[in-house]
Amino acid sequence: MSSLTRALVAEVRARRGAADPMPPRIALPPVVAPPARVYVARRPPLTPGAASEHTTALLGIGHVGTRYATDVVLQFQAELAVAHEAVAAELTDGWAKDHGFLPLQTRVADHREYLLRPDLGRRLAPESLARLQAQAAKGVDVQVILADGLSALACMQAGPALYEATVAALRARGLTVGAPVCAKFARVWLEDEIGAEVGAKVAIILLGERPGLGTGDGLSAYLVHGPALGKTDGDRNMMSNLHARGTPADEAAPRLAALAHAMIQQGVSGVGLDLAKVDAVIERGYRAPQVRQRLVERGGAR
Amino acid sequence: MSLLEPIVPTLLSVRRIPNADPALLAAYGADPTRHTSLGLVTCDQDDALYVALDEATKHAAVDVVFAKSFYAGSAHASGKLSGEILGVLAAAEPQSIEDGLAALTACLAHDACFYDADGARGVTVFPHVIGSLGHYLAKESGLAVGECLAYLVAPPLEATLGFDAALKAADVRAVKIVAPPTETNFACAWLTGHRRGDLAACRAAAAAFIDAVVDVALRPHAR
Amino acid sequence: MDLAATIRGVRYRFDSVKELLGRANPPKSGDDLAGVSARSTVERVAARAVLADLTLAELRANPVVPYDQDEVTRVVEDDLDDQAYKAVAHLTVGQFREWLLETTTSGATLRAVAPGLTPEMAAAVCKLMSNLDLMTVAAKCEVVVRANNTLGLPGRLSSRVQPNHPSDDVEGILASAREGLSYGCGDAVIGVNPATDTPESTAAILTALDAVCKKHAIPTQHCVLSHLTVQMKALALGCPMDLMFQSLAGTEAGNRAFGVSVALLDEAWALMKAKGTARGPNVMYFETGQGSALSSAAHHGADQLTIEARCYGLARRYRPFLVNTVVGFIGPEYLEDGPQITRAALEDHFMGKLLGLPMGCDACFTYHARMSQDELESTKVLLAAAGCTYLMSLPVGDDIMLNYQSTSFHDIPSVRRLLGKRPTPEFDAWCEAKGITRDGAPGPRFGDAGVVA
Repeated sequence: MSSLTRALVAEVRARRGAADPMPPRIALPPVVAPPARVYVARRPPLTPGAASEHTTALLGIGHVGTRYATDVVLQFQAELAVAHEAVAAELTDGWAKDHGFLPLQTRVADHREYLLRPDLGRRLAPESLARLQAQAAKGVDVQVILADGLSALACMQAGPALYEATVAALRARGLTVGAPVCAKFARVWLEDEIGAEVGAKVAIILLGERPGLGTGDGLSAYLVHGPALGKTDGDRNMMSNLHARGTPADEAAPRLAALAHAMIQQGVSGVGLDLAKVDAVIERGYRAPQVRQRLVERGGAR
Repeated sequence: MSLLEPIVPTLLSVRRIPNADPALLAAYGADPTRHTSLGLVTCDQDDALYVALDEATKHAAVDVVFAKSFYAGSAHASGKLSGEILGVLAAAEPQSIEDGLAALTACLAHDACFYDADGARGVTVFPHVIGSLGHYLAKESGLAVGECLAYLVAPPLEATLGFDAALKAADVRAVKIVAPPTETNFACAWLTGHRRGDLAACRAAAAAFIDAVVDVALRPHAR
Repeated sequence: MDLAATIRGVRYRFDSVKELLGRANPPKSGDDLAGVSARSTVERVAARAVLADLTLAELRANPVVPYDQDEVTRVVEDDLDDQAYKAVAHLTVGQFREWLLETTTSGATLRAVAPGLTPEMAAAVCKLMSNLDLMTVAAKCEVVVRANNTLGLPGRLSSRVQPNHPSDDVEGILASAREGLSYGCGDAVIGVNPATDTPESTAAILTALDAVCKKHAIPTQHCVLSHLTVQMKALALGCPMDLMFQSLAGTEAGNRAFGVSVALLDEAWALMKAKGTARGPNVMYFETGQGSALSSAAHHGADQLTIEARCYGLARRYRPFLVNTVVGFIGPEYLEDGPQITRAALEDHFMGKLLGLPMGCDACFTYHARMSQDELESTKVLLAAAGCTYLMSLPVGDDIMLNYQSTSFHDIPSVRRLLGKRPTPEFDAWCEAKGITRDGAPGPRFGDAGVVA
């Protein structure tokens, strides 16, 4: 609509020389002059606090605003790099044979396929199946399997010691143990096929677990009674964090043996297993203090 | 902000009562025998809304039954939707209310408004020229429907000098001068031509009013 | 039902609603693994075009696992609110998407319709929505629940403190929990994943957490995430337990693999209502995650998104206080990289909220997935902007027991400050009183674990 008044005011403005076609100016905030020099509070280097007696969690690291100090950021990135390297590692050719294990491989062809195709990592390749059928002892109480899982580094470093300790603890209970086997590109459920093939009452697979920050040395153990294709996670019992900072091999092995023994006695595993009747031989108690390893040393470059 | 920039009014609330209670109609000045529907608006500029309410009467079969300014203006309102005026349109049926509200809204958006008189909104001026009165302001002013009017508002001292300048600048006469204080502490004058329908005189008076108000706003202590 | 669409002269035909739902899904490595994903990007669009024209009534009539074969389907069907269902049954999935996005469709309306929606409806509309669509609708949904404090109010972002320890060392767990609390974290729950799944260790951890909460009058909840049956035995030992936890799957077979059933969950819920120590009325805590059913071959040929939605269909039966998807935990075989994990996080949060759950998210990756720390931080901000009820919080986001990377004690206050969010009102007041925060900003005791010594 047209406005008499608007037209009139426009005339008055033009006469006053104030008809500004530009939009009105917006007042800008004042610019503060920079200080001569800025300082940041001196921070002590990243050192473990009192809580490190009880946990390796990164506690007592302070904060910058709500974020991390630079030293914490670099330590974190270094630990992330260690974890990624552990994931990328593979079980080297000949390692299993050199360490006295019967070498087996699943149907997985390469590392990326291993990550994306768990179904192939649960079944033995035909030639490995044939080797197992030809060479492994049958009808044993317990078949123990060492495998790479998600950290071939953990398998190669800590695997043999945990394997030996577990076998010894099983034999100490009078149980018979199957042939030593080591599987490449293996998933947990591979224990079903291997255990079934050798007719074991219980199968235990010891395999590298997903690396954590700054680590890659942890193993997990999964136990199943009456191993056979089609068993589910609910049919299994497991122990994780089998490494120096969690449960070391000499404590884990007797516990694994007790679990396997209870499975044979009760004829069941998984959620059906009555854990109250497991003669657990491990008391949870004080663990030696652990120091999270400092990965980045700064200050030498200048 | 710049000098004489329009300050567009805000309609703070617009609600309808399609079928109002007769007691309510009577209390707000409507006629229960003719009116059933109400349209209620609040606005942050009282004089702009008086003009807009009058505009509504030119476009729809509505009556302005209630229009009152609030004390101390919109900067001291009783609530965020109160502004400085409540206006009520009444009609026989809801569609007339819709038509009236549409005309009112358009008038506020494009025509009736205060202007910035010092480039900082420290002083504002309402130099409104109406070419043809509707029946609401016609009744309020005692003029005939269709006559022209200069509707001039400014703060007390600015307005006083402005009225004087306006009356001397053109062949106009004062229909009504409301000296301060008013509810909103402005002052108001309604001028019309000595000759009926002399729109040019109303325009010249309003232009002189603007110049005088701006002069006071920019030079409050000039001798 | 003729399920077909033509794109540039090529006719794409689908045999069933279940197949259609799979082909319409955005790319996920887990759907490739299951062989249910689209075989080309054009086929994916064709599937979406067909899906957009199905009505919600047709989706109800075609659950991805038949009623007589699966108790999750039966729970959803039998518990469905018929009045709420009738309000939307006539809409096509495409129309339903538009209705959800309309600004006039309010949070209150969505809450009223939620009991009439089946998981398949939520999954179907999810497939037609972009990430920002998902955020826009989810942000409107308000799901408010109560245990010892009040979760899910607008303008709030809560967090679980997750003080896990590789050998369940109680002092180590408490040290982490104290530090998390000092950063204003832990208003959703202090929840510990135990390394050893026994009633005794569950009871020992709960008793220790309860003492800290009581001593400092912390308005929050505690929980130990052992198996449901273990927690039930722990309750029988007489320990305090504010929330009871269980991982859920979207099919009966998937839940069997987790060692639970509807009957067992019903029993656990009844037990919690009688013996739980939180004021309630919401006392259950569930975790879910795309791909878990496939990992136990319990997916019935359906895509992982639809199966995930079915978890929520089951979860809502128990009016839970907490539900979160553990989105990046399952690994690259189900969600391969950063974009897939972020997408799944926003999808799960959307579907959970739409179905009326107080949905949180464990935004995380494992070290064998292709996701960077920067991508993960972005995902947390997107979730919080979408109104995610809670995130996790750990020291530097590092779970030293489960070995994965999640949200950190530092991330929660950072995201809250960035988006103008606060913890639950009760916990907010506690933080202010303790000096952990001042008007929401870091206060004098911020990051000082001694504040809850």
